[in-house]
Amino acid sequence: MEALDQAADFVPSGLAALGIEADETELAVIGAAHATFWPAILELLEMDLGDNPPERSPDLSRPPAER
Amino acid sequence: MSLLDRPLRAQAAAIAAGEADPADLLDAALARIAERDPALNSVVETFPERSREMLAAAPEGPLRGVPVVIKDEWPLPWRAQRFGAAEMLTEVAPGESGPYRALRDAGAVVVGVGNMHELGASSTGNLSVYGPARNPWDTERCPGGSSSGPAAAVAGRLVAGAVGADGIGSIRFPAAYCGLTGLKPTYGRAAMAGHHMDGISTTIVSGPLCADAADARLLAGTLFGEQLPAGEAAGLRVGIVRDTVTDDVAPAVRDACEEAIRALVAETGGELVEVELADIVPAAMATVLIANAEGLAGLSPDRANRLDPELSPIARGLIKYRLLLPAAASVKSGQLRAAMRRRLAAAFAGVDAIAWPTVPAVAPPLEAPLVELPSGTVTADQANVRGAGLANLTGIPAISVPVGFDGGLPIALQLQAGWGEDALLLDAAEALERATDRRWVEALPPLARPAEATEA
Repeated sequence: MEALDQAADFVPSGLAALGIEADETELAVIGAAHATFWPAILELLEMDLGDNPPERSPDLSRPPAER
Repeated sequence: MSLLDRPLRAQAAAIAAGEADPADLLDAALARIAERDPALNSVVETFPERSREMLAAAPEGPLRGVPVVIKDEWPLPWRAQRFGAAEMLTEVAPGESGPYRALRDAGAVVVGVGNMHELGASSTGNLSVYGPARNPWDTERCPGGSSSGPAAAVAGRLVAGAVGADGIGSIRFPAAYCGLTGLKPTYGRAAMAGHHMDGISTTIVSGPLCADAADARLLAGTLFGEQLPAGEAAGLRVGIVRDTVTDDVAPAVRDACEEAIRALVAETGGELVEVELADIVPAAMATVLIANAEGLAGLSPDRANRLDPELSPIARGLIKYRLLLPAAASVKSGQLRAAMRRRLAAAFAGVDAIAWPTVPAVAPPLEAPLVELPSGTVTADQANVRGAGLANLTGIPAISVPVGFDGGLPIALQLQAGWGEDALLLDAAEALERATDRRWVEALPPLARPAEATEA
């Protein structure tokens, strides 16, 4: 429950911390974006990618270099 | 038939052979825009004198005298891009962008600037500072975004070719919705100089939107600065995955794409191969996060508080939300990018192309861009990004080709190949055209049909 409350507070507290003003319509847009993005972001954060460190200076025009 | 209704390559050939006057073709394109575009809003600005100056100076290139449209994402020497918005977050100025130079050096004539979704932020094209572009197949439907105007202009046969940009599907979505062939090139291969995100973005590329693959090959070659040789795609090994991108799809789209894949395999004497490719949907989310993080370059909290009130509330809200995205997610996205690149490299050792629907449902209404999928009703953006992000995340090329209709609206298949295999994708698209007697690439939307055909 506490985690849910924190999630609901994420947008207003985040905006306040950065000093960003938002009117009601913008807040509605931000809320909708958050509802869409946040579950997917949490899913991404939970992924175990320990065996896949980022490439060093990847060249996206080519396949990854052999490790 | 007007020369303007013929393919890009036929226009170029007629001019090169002295059978057509390019000045007449330019006038015809301007007249066609004036006649048809009030219904489409695809071309937001023309500049006849500038176009005539380009024509007068046009070298003997592969596109000499051929009129094309360029997306409002690229600066021209006489016009800065507006990115479909009342305001951009970075300073822009008129100039010679890479795509402009490529077109100019090929002898092409920029006849107009194509509309686009505001700030490139949607797959629908239903929002722009110029008002939305409209889909020629049904003007109450989304044309796709963000390269909405280039696609609508080509589908409406205002021009035979247009240059778009693709950061998360922005060439492939409008190509799919408008029944065109749209190529998202391998990252870094197509002209990019002068783009306001050049040097920052790791997902955006320029690319062609045309009626068919041969025209896309010609225009892509122009943007690449090298001709792309044509082949047969013989023995094409087509990979298919079992994932949300193939399963959570409208039945008509699934059926048409499966039929097209079978036809492609039969035409090329190839084979169908099941491919294991995990995390396609999370990879799309990673692409969104990376693109949004890269878009922070010109943003600060103070800047976010000084946004132009003429920006839509959606744009203002999304810009402010960007600043809240956790840095850890960007790092994780980079890890997933590396993982997906390695997985794709392994997959392309066993197949030449991987196929799935470009978008899971046909173009939704402009007023309510929602789509019905087996899993329920979702926004078109949520649905569309799933299958598009992987190519931008990893750098591989991808092409969208028309493969049928549902309720009079185009259905599209996406083919993705290994890094640098852009020509192979065009070969495969041409093979598919042969297999289907070109009926999907030659289909015309109502407003582009000859009068007698419309009456019939």
